[in-house]
Amino acid sequence: MTGVDVADVPVVDTDVLVVGSGGAGLMCVLHVKAAAPELDVTIVSKGAVGRSGCTRMVQGGFNAVLDPADSVDLHLRDTLDGGRFLNDQELAHTLVTDAPKVIHELETRVGCFFDRSEDGRIHQKAFAGQQFDRTVHRGDLTGIEIMGRLRDQMFRVLPNELEDVRALDLVTDVHGELVGLTALDARTGRALLVRARIVVVATGGAATMYRIAAPAKEKTGDGVAMCWRAGLPLRDMEMLQFHPTGLLAAESRMTGAVLEEGLRGAGAYLYNARGERYMERYDAARMERSTRDVVSRAGYSEIMAGRGTPTGGVLIDISHLGAGEVERRFPGMVARTRQIGQDLATGPVEVSPTAHFHMGGVLIDPDCHTEMRGLLVAGEDAGGTHGANRLGGNGVAESTVFGSRAGDTAAAEASSRGFGEPDPEQVAASFARAYAPLERDAGELPFPLTRELKDAMWVGCGVVRDRAGLEECLASLDELTERSAQVSVPGPAQVNYAWQEALDLENQLTVARTVVAAAQLREESRGAHYRADFPEQDDAAWSRYVVLRRAADGSVSSDTRPVEHTRLAP
Amino acid sequence: MMVLDLLLAIQREHDAALGFRFSCRVAMCGTCTLRLDGRSVLACQTPVPRDRDTVRLDPVAGLPVLRDLVVDTTAFWEEWARVTPYLVPRDDLTEPAVIRPDAKERQLIDPALDCIGCGACYSSCAVSAGSRDFIGPAALNRAMVLVADSRDAAGEERLAAVTGEGGVDRCHYVYGCSAQCPKGLDPAQAIRRLRRWRLRPRSSDDGR
Repeated sequence: MTGVDVADVPVVDTDVLVVGSGGAGLMCVLHVKAAAPELDVTIVSKGAVGRSGCTRMVQGGFNAVLDPADSVDLHLRDTLDGGRFLNDQELAHTLVTDAPKVIHELETRVGCFFDRSEDGRIHQKAFAGQQFDRTVHRGDLTGIEIMGRLRDQMFRVLPNELEDVRALDLVTDVHGELVGLTALDARTGRALLVRARIVVVATGGAATMYRIAAPAKEKTGDGVAMCWRAGLPLRDMEMLQFHPTGLLAAESRMTGAVLEEGLRGAGAYLYNARGERYMERYDAARMERSTRDVVSRAGYSEIMAGRGTPTGGVLIDISHLGAGEVERRFPGMVARTRQIGQDLATGPVEVSPTAHFHMGGVLIDPDCHTEMRGLLVAGEDAGGTHGANRLGGNGVAESTVFGSRAGDTAAAEASSRGFGEPDPEQVAASFARAYAPLERDAGELPFPLTRELKDAMWVGCGVVRDRAGLEECLASLDELTERSAQVSVPGPAQVNYAWQEALDLENQLTVARTVVAAAQLREESRGAHYRADFPEQDDAAWSRYVVLRRAADGSVSSDTRPVEHTRLAP
Repeated sequence: MMVLDLLLAIQREHDAALGFRFSCRVAMCGTCTLRLDGRSVLACQTPVPRDRDTVRLDPVAGLPVLRDLVVDTTAFWEEWARVTPYLVPRDDLTEPAVIRPDAKERQLIDPALDCIGCGACYSSCAVSAGSRDFIGPAALNRAMVLVADSRDAAGEERLAAVTGEGGVDRCHYVYGCSAQCPKGLDPAQAIRRLRRWRLRPRSSDDGR
């Protein structure tokens, strides 16, 4: 290695290190500071603090039981029904139990203001898959309000913010005890070592690994990949949710941005290129108002069967409500379509299923503990809360509920751990891997590889899967993994996004391989995971979740474990 | 094609080292702000002009450039911090407040609430971008929202701070901020309100 001498790497020591600055990360910081103000907290964020990731992008809202006529038992049942009973029921129970507390906190302490009903109390709207109208929101820009106010709170509690700093790898001492992590300051290009008593990983999912995808740029599975490399077990990795109506804007980066679910709720029609309302063939009873997994699969099947538009989409049309009505009820969505030269208010708009959310992730307990002492995981990086399918409105609830709990746990446990000495071999290997693309004289740029990854996952491990397609996809990932180990980017190291893309690509490939591996194992269809060669849900054989793990020598093992129905039976 | 798509194409096909920032690409994160032919805009929401062969892109004005179009936003957030930008909750606040959606307070706050911190107003304000002592339009807009919020206990101190040195009187009413806000907010109006509130109680304000 030429770039980094381990002995010269600056070391930052902090009591609690939070990786990621979305809803989970910033709620965690607040809770650490509330419970133990004397603790020193550091945020490591690959993007702008509070302004990267996906909590920011939440449109719809936040599910929480606030109305006396509603109940947490009902919210639990909805969440488990939605998840096709694959959920870790203790995590789901924690989600629904804590969500009302977090809404109270967001309103009375953090300073968010959610929309009100006529009587002045918090308004809750209807969302798919729920027996009670319990989705708290601020117009159709709920995420801006939550993240804006959380970002403001950082000026009160004043954590150490390491912005534009990428976490690379968890590092332990020579005995395997967690010490902290290696990191890269993307502004200066310099290596950094952060030691902490407690590390909280909250970076978000990896749905950007698909050709058409909804999330923000930063969401490349960095946290899950980091935990995987450290040998932590992952569950439900095959469970990747597709939202049925992502915008198609040709080559524009806006492609994949979600057109909200409320359109279908309000009576929008879906057509294929032949003008057929194709949902008749997939769910004649519920038609367009069927659940996310069914509607996504129908659209995908139409497109793959050649009945899509020339650019590979289907059409959503709500113009029969009248232009004025559409503009009044969906101003944000109308603006979004006009931006790309279409108009939701007056005619059909091209859409496609879009990769949206990863239900799978690191195994945690309700206090966000993992197998590794000192390591907590919260938000989309963790698996189990949503099972095989996430309800709209349960995502931002998960981030903030488990972010809060991770903060409480970190505050309670920080004093029980000290600062260790990192294993120099691990540190050297991590920096060698990170700096390699910059130090190679010749090789491909990462950009075309990212595109090939997105295509391979879209075709082979997308909305509809089968054995042959998954095998082909895995072969593509093998080839891309080899090529990604040879990419080369031009210098300098400072503010170098090509280099950052190379590191993103590596994490995306790492997570993609686990998605394909789990999808190969689950020979049934359940929620977001649909196998054309095993189209039925098989409860007798598959009331089980898939757990994958990587050993220190790189070999991958898998096992399946029975879902425990600790709260509710299917 | 948006300006962001143009930048991505340049990075992919011509100059891998080109530096620019973005995250959400749907006008929610506020990190892709730049100047297109002098106007401060979000790259993700601004079509590439079709009527000519070249366009000029510059980084946001008034902030140090890290590389190409990437700036260090520290100064912008330092101004934000000066207004005590977070809710200082009243002690009796244990339940979400009961506030009707048509309450006067909400009519003041709601249209001013969706600031994404993109800095387009800062970049287009000659006073902000040209000096370091003006609190600036975005932070003053945030201050107005909090001063109007009945849940907040620090209104008077905040009002005193933003109407003192470096505060509302530094505004020269050029209206660049309100003209170029990509979310359609009106920071100039917020500044006018704060000036008025210094002189007479907010309860008698007609909301304009």
